Amino acid sequence: MRKEILLLVAGQFWVSVFKSKAIYPIIGIMLVLLLYAAYSGLSYHDQNHFRTDHQNMARESWEGNPDKHPHRMAHFGTFAFRLKHPLSIFDFGQESYTGNAVFLEAHRQNMVNFSEAGFSTGILRFGELHMAMILQLILPLIIFFIGYAAIVSDRENGTLKILLTQGANWKEILLGRSLGLLAISALFILPFFIMTIVLLLGEGHAASDEWGRLAMSSLTYLVFAVVLCLITIAVSVSSRSSKNALLKLLGLWLLMTVLLPRTSQAIGAYYHPTPTKLEFRASIEEEVIQYGDSHNPNDPYFNALKDSVLKVHKVGSVEELPFNYGGFIMGQGERISAEIYKKHHNQLLDQYRNQNQLTRWLAIVNPYLAVKHLSMALCGTDFESYVDFQGQAENYRYLLSQNMNELQMKYISPNKISGSEGKTHVIDRKEWKALPDFEHRFLPLGKVIKNESISIGSMVLWLTFSIGLVISLSKNAKAI
Amino acid sequence: MYLFMFKQFLRTGTCRLGLGLVLFLGLISIITGKQFLNDQEKVASEVVERQLDHIKRNIEFHSDDLGLLLYYLKFTLVNEHDPLSALAIGQKDLNPSVQHVKILTLEGQKYDTDLVNPTKLLYGNLDLSFVLIYVFPLLIIAFTFNLRSEEEETGTWKIVSVMSKSNLKFLLSKLLVRLILLVLLMSFLYLVASIVLNISWGELSFAFFVVGFVYILFWFALSFWIISLKRASNFNALVLLSFWLMLVILSPSVVNTIITNRLPVPEALTTMIRQRDGYHQKWDMDKRGTMEKFYDSYPQFETYGYPPEEGFSWLWYYAMQHLGDEESREESLSMRTKIMQRANLSRKWAKFVPSMHTQLAFNDIAGTGLINHLNFLQHTNTFHENTRLYFYPKIFSNGTAEDVDWDQFKPVYFEDERSSFDWLGNLIPLCTGIVFFFGLSGLSIRNNM
Repeated sequence: MRKEILLLVAGQFWVSVFKSKAIYPIIGIMLVLLLYAAYSGLSYHDQNHFRTDHQNMARESWEGNPDKHPHRMAHFGTFAFRLKHPLSIFDFGQESYTGNAVFLEAHRQNMVNFSEAGFSTGILRFGELHMAMILQLILPLIIFFIGYAAIVSDRENGTLKILLTQGANWKEILLGRSLGLLAISALFILPFFIMTIVLLLGEGHAASDEWGRLAMSSLTYLVFAVVLCLITIAVSVSSRSSKNALLKLLGLWLLMTVLLPRTSQAIGAYYHPTPTKLEFRASIEEEVIQYGDSHNPNDPYFNALKDSVLKVHKVGSVEELPFNYGGFIMGQGERISAEIYKKHHNQLLDQYRNQNQLTRWLAIVNPYLAVKHLSMALCGTDFESYVDFQGQAENYRYLLSQNMNELQMKYISPNKISGSEGKTHVIDRKEWKALPDFEHRFLPLGKVIKNESISIGSMVLWLTFSIGLVISLSKNAKAI
Repeated sequence: MYLFMFKQFLRTGTCRLGLGLVLFLGLISIITGKQFLNDQEKVASEVVERQLDHIKRNIEFHSDDLGLLLYYLKFTLVNEHDPLSALAIGQKDLNPSVQHVKILTLEGQKYDTDLVNPTKLLYGNLDLSFVLIYVFPLLIIAFTFNLRSEEEETGTWKIVSVMSKSNLKFLLSKLLVRLILLVLLMSFLYLVASIVLNISWGELSFAFFVVGFVYILFWFALSFWIISLKRASNFNALVLLSFWLMLVILSPSVVNTIITNRLPVPEALTTMIRQRDGYHQKWDMDKRGTMEKFYDSYPQFETYGYPPEEGFSWLWYYAMQHLGDEESREESLSMRTKIMQRANLSRKWAKFVPSMHTQLAFNDIAGTGLINHLNFLQHTNTFHENTRLYFYPKIFSNGTAEDVDWDQFKPVYFEDERSSFDWLGNLIPLCTGIVFFFGLSGLSIRNNM
């Protein structure tokens, strides 16, 4: 294979595409879509401002509390707002379907509420327009459209024979045309990443590893384009007529992007049913009650606990303990219920993962899904990023409650066991400030890559497969 | 001749493949719907039993202190579902159909979402409305894009021109064969669905069918126009697919972006903080001030007077809770207004895009749209207030569990008013599209057939 010939074929393909008038409206449409997607990505800016503003508002309200009983503060609670990742400008992923705000209080794990989808009509279900969506959905169509006739039409009008007699071999023609097609696709992809970089630079607050993430995601889309170009050329060379090639490619597109994903997700959901909210809450409640009810004065578990505490401190009653027993017992209760909740919540998440498993593995045969998953994960808008936020919020809630319980043990008179109203058993308000505020951190890149090993594997597989396919087709392609 | 055309068409690979695919997806959609209904019914049957148990158990523990008892008690309101909701699940998969509310601050309770898998929501439900809105048009395109061009490309068009009296009539009858086949297919799926899902025949279920039928007609009209342009198969396939992409994917997503960017709802977050502060900060304020505000809303209870500033009283506690709602009312109302505006804007834009319009119409018929949920939330307010007003005097007069008629606290069912269907409003936009494209076809036929 000679490099000059390869480039010559590629260059000739490039020139021929730009000679036809069809390319210009396509470029125009893509530009309009890009600008519109960039505009819609900017809602990121507003949304994050709303959220940081409200996080601050919640913090002010927290710190503004006067001296009071720490358990009142544990019930006063605070809020965690989920920040959007800066790269969500590029890929919205599951953003609209995940909750954005959660109330954090003692004894209770609340739902993360107020997803965009909750405020939306059925129109949201048609999908959202964002830059990644255009590259995942529209770019393949454009590559197919530009490239479907690349080989087959030359065969139809006989120019292929001329090309071969002039000394080019099949491998050079096929790979050269693929290269030409790739160059044109790069022309479409590049503006999206330039736009993302411009938008990111314009943003004040940014995550630390966003450039690494962006580099990886541009690589992902580049590999995707290579695969698409090679497949297009492969279909073109193995079709009888250009019409056939076009129909095959369009059919492939529909199957891969529209029909398969939804079907596999539906099948996954069918085989892995999840509990209703009622069942979920009830099973946690039951388990907590089985463990022991700290409100019940005759509860065996908590009575045994009390006896052992009294024994260790060598005193006869809880009033003689060096700390507030009420605070201690609530700390124990919180630990137990948080553990039980975590267990059940993890089971639920695993069930969700099982539901998603089929679609995730389908990425092996469907590169569209591989790109979609990988891109979401890199942009911090995938399922695992959301789960991570939920975990952080719950950890903070636990920290807050236990912190208040410790304050109660330390500062509230041991004689005062229950009851928290009034102004007699209170602690200084400077303690409220001492508790750090909730801060949402994004998953580290290494973790993201680990989560997406299937998608990355699929991309590598497809790259090798499509190169192999074109090379093997070049060995027994026919000019007539 | 029609019978022959039918047989001829049924023998083609495209036809068999297309029909097979749609039957398969249709089957999955019906199973999806069935599973959805089962889940809904499971919830509905669970709540009755659980509410009884829940009340009984708590009365055992706290029967002498009604104030404390009601701190624990949850009351259930169920949003009734129609079997039709299995055909167009709409927003029902993420908006809960059951509310369990205590008579505490409502704003902190009523927006709780259901447990959802966001990935599942992202890919969307494969319900019958998806099959009708996304897949049927694709089938129509696949069946018709080369209706004329194929004959021309294989050289049979000349024979047809000589043999049949009118080319147009020949084309129309070919088109009719495909239309009949697809309508039969849709009717078959609908029939199976109505048997499996127990859909009873009535105006609404009929409306669902008619809207689906008219939507299919729209795509035939569009297809017919493209055919009448007499272009090559490649061109037809590309143009029709571009239309599909425009109508089913791009336009709705553009409209959605416009709506979400133009009408963000930060009020939701503010409401959340305000309702907490509105209640909680009262712990550190004068009881008198709190009671005065409470009596402003409910002067009928003023006779219970003002509790002493020291110590705890349930009267004061429930007054504080109520003020959480009172003091977040403004944000809550403005959130509701925003969401209403979103719904109205969607509807307005949808008039110009048949796919969106059809989806919203399906959701309306099935009672699974955003408006249904808003109405449910609104009704939750009434339900909550009624419950509170029943218990308030009993708690305030230091009553016990024996003063309450517990039998009346069974789960309450909410049925949204959607008994009649707005035929004109729903069908005119679609019919306008049909007339428009048939008109265009007529023009191009006159010019070049």
